[in-house]
Amino acid sequence: MKIVVCLKQVPDMESKFKIVDDKKVDESQIAFKINDFDNYAVEAALQLKEKHGGEVVIVSAGPDRAAKDIRQAFAMGADWGMHITDPAIYEGDSFVIASALAKAIETIGGVDLVMTGVQTEDLQAAVTGVMVADMLNVPHCTNVVKINTADGKAFTLNRELEGGLNEVMDLTGPAVLTIQSGINEPRYPTLPGIMKAKKKQLDAKSGADLGVSASSRTAFIKMFVPVSDTMAEIIAGAPAEAAAKLVDKLKNEAKVI
Amino acid sequence: MAKLLIIAEHRNGKLSDATMELCRIAKEIAPGLGLEPVAAVFAKDDSLAKEVAKYIPEVFAVCDAAVEGYTSDAYAQAVKAVVEAKDVKGVLIPQTYDGVDYAAKAALAIGAGIVSNCNKAVIEGGKLVLTRNIYNGKLQETKSVTTDKFVVTFEKGAYDPAEAGAAGAVSTVAVSFTPSRTKVKEIIAMSAGGVDISQAKIIVAGGRGLKDADKYKDVVLPLAAKLGAEYAGSRPVIDSGWTDASRQVGQSGKTVTPDLYLALGISGAVQHVAGMKGSKCIVAVNKDPEAPIFNIATYGIVADLFEVVPGIMANL
Ligand SMILES: Cc1cc2nc3c(=O)[nH]c(=O)nc-3n(C[C@H](O)[C@H](O)[C@H](O)COP(=O)(O)OP(=O)(O)OC[C@H]3O[C@@H](n4cnc5c(N)ncnc54)[C@H](O)[C@@H]3O)c2cc1C
Ligand SMILES: Nc1ncnc2c1ncn2[C@@H]1O[C@H](COP(=O)(O)O)[C@@H](O)[C@H]1O
Repeated sequence: MKIVVCLKQVPDMESKFKIVDDKKVDESQIAFKINDFDNYAVEAALQLKEKHGGEVVIVSAGPDRAAKDIRQAFAMGADWGMHITDPAIYEGDSFVIASALAKAIETIGGVDLVMTGVQTEDLQAAVTGVMVADMLNVPHCTNVVKINTADGKAFTLNRELEGGLNEVMDLTGPAVLTIQSGINEPRYPTLPGIMKAKKKQLDAKSGADLGVSASSRTAFIKMFVPVSDTMAEIIAGAPAEAAAKLVDKLKNEAKVI
Repeated sequence: MAKLLIIAEHRNGKLSDATMELCRIAKEIAPGLGLEPVAAVFAKDDSLAKEVAKYIPEVFAVCDAAVEGYTSDAYAQAVKAVVEAKDVKGVLIPQTYDGVDYAAKAALAIGAGIVSNCNKAVIEGGKLVLTRNIYNGKLQETKSVTTDKFVVTFEKGAYDPAEAGAAGAVSTVAVSFTPSRTKVKEIIAMSAGGVDISQAKIIVAGGRGLKDADKYKDVVLPLAAKLGAEYAGSRPVIDSGWTDASRQVGQSGKTVTPDLYLALGISGAVQHVAGMKGSKCIVAVNKDPEAPIFNIATYGIVADLFEVVPGIMANL
């Protein structure tokens, strides 16, 4: 099977986010990593490759720093990758990014299955995978928590639903699956894996290379720190002291213990 | 007059709460956009459309075997057909499992920009301005759509449901469907069995901040035992197998409303908060002062939970 995984590098969400000019976050204090859901997608792709043979290709749109995490996926076992390093693409909206990912997948050619994460932790859009499927004119399944296939072509999938329900559905590839967390336990790269990753092929592409002509259909206005009118009463003091005060408040103020 | 269309959601013959929430949003924002609020219901007959008509003035029913159950292919085609037949400018869809599955596809089908996962909509200078969470809720952004038509999806629970009123008009729209490329075999319940944490008066919940299975067991379980509480976890705790699935709180787990909910090392993502925001008293212990959980907690301690929990234990 030839499987493409769309992977985005995102900030570690425990970072301190400082907003510059209401427009973007200051990246100097931020550590980057693979979007959590995409890590599950990489693992799901590697497991299919182990069973059915073939290759796993990583496609990512992002600045140069994203190469570190594309190579992280290589170290897990992905074979090669395409890095769309063009700011006109990765600074575009989901429509522009999906258009470029779809073109990249067409350029790679002969792809049996595309996997994305359910959503990015930074943008939380949950639209890119569905758009890519529509642009490639193939079926899709979102929130996939189980994949069954005997031949890498016909798939039986579990789609997560609300209230602990799963929809069991059939589709025939090529298709796009958006992968939900918990579907597997992503592997950690091994030392030989990390060594091999350094030599794996990573093609840099611009929007023009891929023939992307899309422009954004939405406009960003500003970003801000949410203000809450139900902000917690923060109990100050050293941990032991704060803990004692908390217990007192729970007993005598909230009267819940 | 051009229209602002909400797409109703239903399963097993029952409308979802998200449907009535969208009715409220549509009625609130349509006048400022010079649009008329309407709804579409895709189902085998028009009984649910009549139900939705109590919440919004006009409802279009697409009655067809192709939409007896949900598929993304059929829903995207039905949205396109109603948008074209009824002069629709904007489409509102819930950010639920089904909504996420077809909203972007419907947007492409009608050539519209989409802003997803929104929690607020206002009109500024005649323009629709949408607020949404980014960076797991630590920040928010506002966005608008630059295309003529637009699709917006809304977080569940962001608005209160509309109240029922006098019944609006129901008419049908015919759609010629092409067969769906996905086939639903069955819908199954995964969460049978396990403990029922929904009745507990006190819940001690641990998140990814507990680091590993051993620390989760060593920190969360004794505190729960001492408080006579149930223990629970956020999704990553269940994904990693630190405890069993019946103890997951959130959108894809249980909804709980205890007197006291202790959130240890939980960031407060909307999908988690959806399952516990109804708790009477919420305590958050998190070393990150910007964690969104503090926005909804009653009491907060900004510190290392591994230092705070022994302090709590010592004072009980
Ligand atoms: C469709 C869908 C459904 C979902 N359903 C659910 C659901 O039902 N339930 C759910 O919980 N999630 C759900 N999620 C996932 C959700 O988006 C978040 O990823 C998840 O809630 C995060 O869990 P967490 O807070 O434990 O982890 P994180 O977000 O990683 O947060 C860990 C927190 O621990 C803090 N921390 C770390 N170390 C310490 C320490 N030593 N002391 C104190 N604090 C510390 C950090 O500052 C951080 O805030 C769903 C997601 C999707 C897309
Ligand atoms: N810049 C990008 N490069 C590669 N894949 C991406 C990019 N942005 C989004 N994706 C993929 O699309 C999924 C959903 O993203 P989103 O629609 O932004 O929530 C992610 O989990 C990735 O798999």
